[in-house]
Amino acid sequence: MIGNFLRLGIRQMNVQLRMRVLSLWSLALFFTQPAIFSAIGMLLARAVGNTRPDLVYTVLGAGIMGMWSGLVFTSTYDIRADRREGTLELIVGSPTPLRRVVGFRSLLNILAGSTSMLAAVAAALFIFDYSFSGINIPGVVISFSLLLLALWCMGIFLANILAWSRLSGTFVDLLEMPIALLCGFMYPISVLPAWMQQISAVFPIRWGLETLQDALKGSLIDSALVNKWLIALGVSFVYYLLARWFDRKVHDHIRITGELHSI
Amino acid sequence: MLTSTNDRAIETHSLVKTFHTKHGFLTRTTRSTEAVRGITFHVNKGELFGLLGPNGAGKTTTVKMLSTLLIPTSGSIHIFGQDILQHTRDIRKHIGFTFGGAHGLYGRLTAIENLRYFAELYALPPRETHNRIRELLELVGLRDRGNDRVETYSSGMQQRLHLARVLLHDPELIFLDEPTVGIDPVGARELRSTIKLLKNQGKTILLTTHYMAEADELCDRLAIINHGQIIAMDSPSSLKSKLTSDAFVELKTSGENLPSVKNVLAQLDPDSEVTYNQHAFVWEVNIRTRQPGVVMELLAPLLSSNLIQTLGVRNQTMEDVYVSIIQNGGA
Amino acid sequence: MIKRLGHLFRLYFFQAWFSYRSLFAWSTPFSYATSKFGFPFFAMLFFVFMGKFVGFLDPMFIVIGNILMMPTTNGLYGISMTIGNERQFGAMSYLLGSPAPRAPLFLGRAFFHILDGFVTVLVALPIAMLIFHIDFAEVNLFMLACCLVLLSITTTGLGFIMGTVSLLSRDGWMFTNTLGQLLYILIGVNIPIERLPGFLQPLSGYLPMTRGILATRLALGGAGWSEVASLLAGEILVAAVYMVFGYTLFRLVERASLSTGSLDSI
Repeated sequence: MIGNFLRLGIRQMNVQLRMRVLSLWSLALFFTQPAIFSAIGMLLARAVGNTRPDLVYTVLGAGIMGMWSGLVFTSTYDIRADRREGTLELIVGSPTPLRRVVGFRSLLNILAGSTSMLAAVAAALFIFDYSFSGINIPGVVISFSLLLLALWCMGIFLANILAWSRLSGTFVDLLEMPIALLCGFMYPISVLPAWMQQISAVFPIRWGLETLQDALKGSLIDSALVNKWLIALGVSFVYYLLARWFDRKVHDHIRITGELHSI
Repeated sequence: MLTSTNDRAIETHSLVKTFHTKHGFLTRTTRSTEAVRGITFHVNKGELFGLLGPNGAGKTTTVKMLSTLLIPTSGSIHIFGQDILQHTRDIRKHIGFTFGGAHGLYGRLTAIENLRYFAELYALPPRETHNRIRELLELVGLRDRGNDRVETYSSGMQQRLHLARVLLHDPELIFLDEPTVGIDPVGARELRSTIKLLKNQGKTILLTTHYMAEADELCDRLAIINHGQIIAMDSPSSLKSKLTSDAFVELKTSGENLPSVKNVLAQLDPDSEVTYNQHAFVWEVNIRTRQPGVVMELLAPLLSSNLIQTLGVRNQTMEDVYVSIIQNGGA
Repeated sequence: MIKRLGHLFRLYFFQAWFSYRSLFAWSTPFSYATSKFGFPFFAMLFFVFMGKFVGFLDPMFIVIGNILMMPTTNGLYGISMTIGNERQFGAMSYLLGSPAPRAPLFLGRAFFHILDGFVTVLVALPIAMLIFHIDFAEVNLFMLACCLVLLSITTTGLGFIMGTVSLLSRDGWMFTNTLGQLLYILIGVNIPIERLPGFLQPLSGYLPMTRGILATRLALGGAGWSEVASLLAGEILVAAVYMVFGYTLFRLVERASLSTGSLDSI
């Protein structure tokens, strides 16, 4: 049973990777937008006399941005390609539930997006000459894992929206920036007006990210950090449940409207 | 094997599918299209059943409903006695389907990788997968090309790979939607042999096509569908026999000589039916008649005086039956 | 003569309309608004908060810069995709095989994109002005409108070049995307040109829109014709160079494809 599950996962990821590698240039998409956004942050800081960029927000924030944009871009690409190529109906028509396929794909998309985080860490070490000596390593590991979980839960939720209709890709693409904006990818959440901070509380990424930023700045594992971890876990779980509920709705909806195929 | 109380693999009753699409930029209007309008039929286990009809008749929509990909607007479908809406996942394990054309395969993967991928979706045991893929590639004549990317395949090879994919989990019921479309005559003949082989193995097959000869050759029974409704259903031989024993006299002439031909044809009995088709400088004249001998006698002098270029007589084919049924709206 | 001009006009108009419609088949006003304003608007807010965090205390500079950048959705991405899509959808052979004169075919694709880009910025600017309480009293509105029209036109220069690049390489969209994002840095959208590192400043001068954005900023600040005339003239010159280069590149690619068949498929 577990063997079947894992094999399906590996096969699924393999297909997705093979389908996506159009060329090395297309992979650069994971890096160019975050790098350019990061450069804007650095140049804005430089314009007011700060020549050294902020490690957590401006440099590593670009890594987060890459992970999120990568997830949105690749998830949208996957479902569009499957609709266009007629493979979506073959997947839906098989005994394997679509949610399982989508779950593995989201996982792969997040892992692929993590390479932009690695690039950001490399940039911090080798270009900007930062050291990570003061960070709370266990805190960073737990927070980063929670961030991955939060991204995955949002990924499977968004995948349902993408499957809903052939037009929903535009809507999901549109969510890329607002979520980056509200979750404080490249600045502390406290920069936002209070009402925006309240909205961002419904996104698990915000909590995972905030704990990661705290841990990177050296915060100890105290009750405040643990509370945020629990919130990140709780909100992620809510998204997981929503995705499961939505999954059934989508399965019926696409078979009523005939949205399984783009032609 | 799904348990069934009777011998029916498929049973549909008053099947209807309506699609709603929205139009307009500022004021949105909803337009409804009735793709299938009350279809009732059954397919027995082990039978090869054909669904014939022109483009847009509702064939593919019907197959998609039968293969769990579309939910009917009303009506019921039972596959091996099980209601399709209540036992969707269970039914999916026992059916295979393909929708023809270049769609439905991952072009950047090899044939073997494609089959492995779909084998996982159908939870085939890994030990069996390897042998099964080898057998199937052999069956569809792609054993030597298994490691080539599918995007390098011709349409015929892609169709054959589709068939291999459908057979991966050894389904009892197979839906083949226009499996020979876009294939050259040799490839189509090979594919038809494979379909016959599957039928001999006891598979139940529902085939859609608009090649009449194909339906005639393969199907035990067939239904002709037009505008979302079944307008005729029987075995190919019965369908043919239901129609008259008319024959067709066909000739070709030039535009210049056409009036002379028309003059002669004016003497035909009123039951004969004449159609004229122009192809560049040549006119093709088709005469449907119960007395081909009389018509030939009338036209023979025109042939000898070179007023017509060719003259021939042929019997009714399945295509004539089909055209007649579609034009008259029923058998 | 009149008949020929009529034909050219029709060719230009239909090329423009159908290529625009085939690319942006908006189904509702909501889908139009979200895809036109969505990313630019939220990216603008993102940069504003980023600026606030690092201590850049002039959010209006970022707001106006990002609004003036909006026509690039049409001028850069739209036109580039329109030309690049010919290859993807296999229409290139029919186009190359047709006897239609090339200049209207090529340049015709820009007309509705320019119009759409102009309308976009025309809608976005007053909304931003209302939100951020900017006084229009000192602004020469006619001059401002001229600046906006010019920006909508000049942004197409890069679109023509990138469109032809998309015909040559299936990664063309990737280069267009990267270029589009680099514009956030290079043409004075978020960061004043004079605050850019020394090696980047000359690059800005060679790009379309840099002078146009600067001129529009001056116009919004109440400047007169004499202060912006040279910037506008420079903008027209740079854009003309890009358009001529884009068209020449297209003709070269077209000619080469006749012998190599390189445009037949991806």
